Amino acid sequence: MMLSFFDQFMSPTYLGIPLMALALTLPWVLYPTPSARWLNNRFLALQGWFINRFTQQLLLPLSLGGHKWAALLTSLMIFLITINMLGLLPYTFTPTTQLSLNLGLAVPLWLATVLIGMRNQPTHALGHLLPEGTPGPLIPVLIIIETISLFIRPLALGVRLTANLTAGHLLIQLIATAAFVLLPLMPVVAILTSTVLVLLTLLEVAVAMIQAYVFVLLLSLYLQENV
Amino acid sequence: MLSRLVIVSANGLKSSGPLGAGLVQASRSLHTSSQSLAPVPPLPEKGGKVRHGIFPEEIFQLLYPKTGVTGPYMLGTGLLLYMLSKEIYVINHETFAAASIGAVIIYGVKKFGPSVAAFADKLNEEKVAKAQEVKDLAMASLAQAIEDEKKEQWRAEGRSMLFDAKRNNVAMLLETNYRERLHMVTHEVKRRLDYQVALQNLHTRMEQEHMVNWVEKSVVGSITPQQEKESIAKCITDLKTVHFDPGAYKQEVKEIFSVVCVRSRCFLLFIFLKKGKDDTRAELAVTESGLLTGTLYSIWEVGVALKEFLPI
Repeated sequence: MMLSFFDQFMSPTYLGIPLMALALTLPWVLYPTPSARWLNNRFLALQGWFINRFTQQLLLPLSLGGHKWAALLTSLMIFLITINMLGLLPYTFTPTTQLSLNLGLAVPLWLATVLIGMRNQPTHALGHLLPEGTPGPLIPVLIIIETISLFIRPLALGVRLTANLTAGHLLIQLIATAAFVLLPLMPVVAILTSTVLVLLTLLEVAVAMIQAYVFVLLLSLYLQENV
Repeated sequence: MLSRLVIVSANGLKSSGPLGAGLVQASRSLHTSSQSLAPVPPLPEKGGKVRHGIFPEEIFQLLYPKTGVTGPYMLGTGLLLYMLSKEIYVINHETFAAASIGAVIIYGVKKFGPSVAAFADKLNEEKVAKAQEVKDLAMASLAQAIEDEKKEQWRAEGRSMLFDAKRNNVAMLLETNYRERLHMVTHEVKRRLDYQVALQNLHTRMEQEHMVNWVEKSVVGSITPQQEKESIAKCITDLKTVHFDPGAYKQEVKEIFSVVCVRSRCFLLFIFLKKGKDDTRAELAVTESGLLTGTLYSIWEVGVALKEFLPI
């Protein structure tokens, strides 16, 4: 069976049973539960340190009302990073390449921030639609533009993550295919292509981490505006 | 069936082999009794040993008796070649992707592994160090408290010495006070006695003076005019017998002059010696004026000496 380039993005099923739930929940197995011991092994110590530091950094600019979102944002970050990094392994399925998943994460969370802002401080939230110091005649136009930008946000969040990861995976596949096909024909070119592949993989590792972080950071930013 | 087993006593179940023990465990609910909080055995210091990063050492130990050292490697190579030849695993573009991500992972682990491990160890060590510090501080403060208590006990033993010293102090104060008052008393008594003595001396002196005055007055009063004339004539005759000796006079003048000259020469020499080469101008002026004064003085002294003997 010939693999087409887009088969990796197909939602996995086995004998008609969708395996998406497994793909989403199995990465959880990789993280040990914090034990009741005072001194733990290295993995647990690092995990605890990372989670603490990340939460501290993320919640730094947020006021006290936003601190309720700490668990949600940190767990979202860990989830996205794990899924992205695991997707770089061969023959794996990356759930975050599915637009449905990313929009499913982005739209409710963004909407939650907007509704919180509208409910608790409506004037302040609406005030974000007009940046300070705009000249008079520009005001109506600017409000329309800001409203459009407000509603584009969830789409941007979701599509950014999807596009980055899909593009990365596709590129890896393409260049790997090129190297594979060129190996019997022109070995030297194949070696060059393999070098490009290694560099691209490095890039993809970075992109995987950065995209997850950007997603969570932007959400915290939207929260900061509205809380 | 399980409900029937639950009715059977726990002792009977426990003794009925592995199945019985499992059933007893199943009838106890998970992590609700305090037995789960009992001192758990400590974690091993290091993780399990692995070879080449993923294969546990136990596999090599398992195969060693039968296949020796190269056994597991042969197994691995055989498995790989079998899967490739039977096309259970087909080499395609994913293999290249796998190779590249494998290279990245291995490079990352080799390069950053030790530092990350050291960092994780440091996190744990800092935790332990904090607790250790608290413990050490507590121990140090307790030891210090013991030392202080011992010192206080030693101090309490020296109580009697303190009392002796205080007693001596008070005795000395009393003695000093007594001596002071004694001295004052003697001083006052002496003062009164001195007054009486001075009074007596005054009386004696006044009587003496009075007596002398009375005697003088009576003597002066007793000089008759006749006696006065006789004494004046005697004086005139005495004066006529006196004559002037120039030799003796000159000798005396020379003696005086030499003495004066010696004195002035000594004085000038003294001043000359005092005047040094590196004297400042002021000092020179002083010395010069001193010389001048000395010379003038000696001349004046000579003049005075001569004046006594010159018939002026």
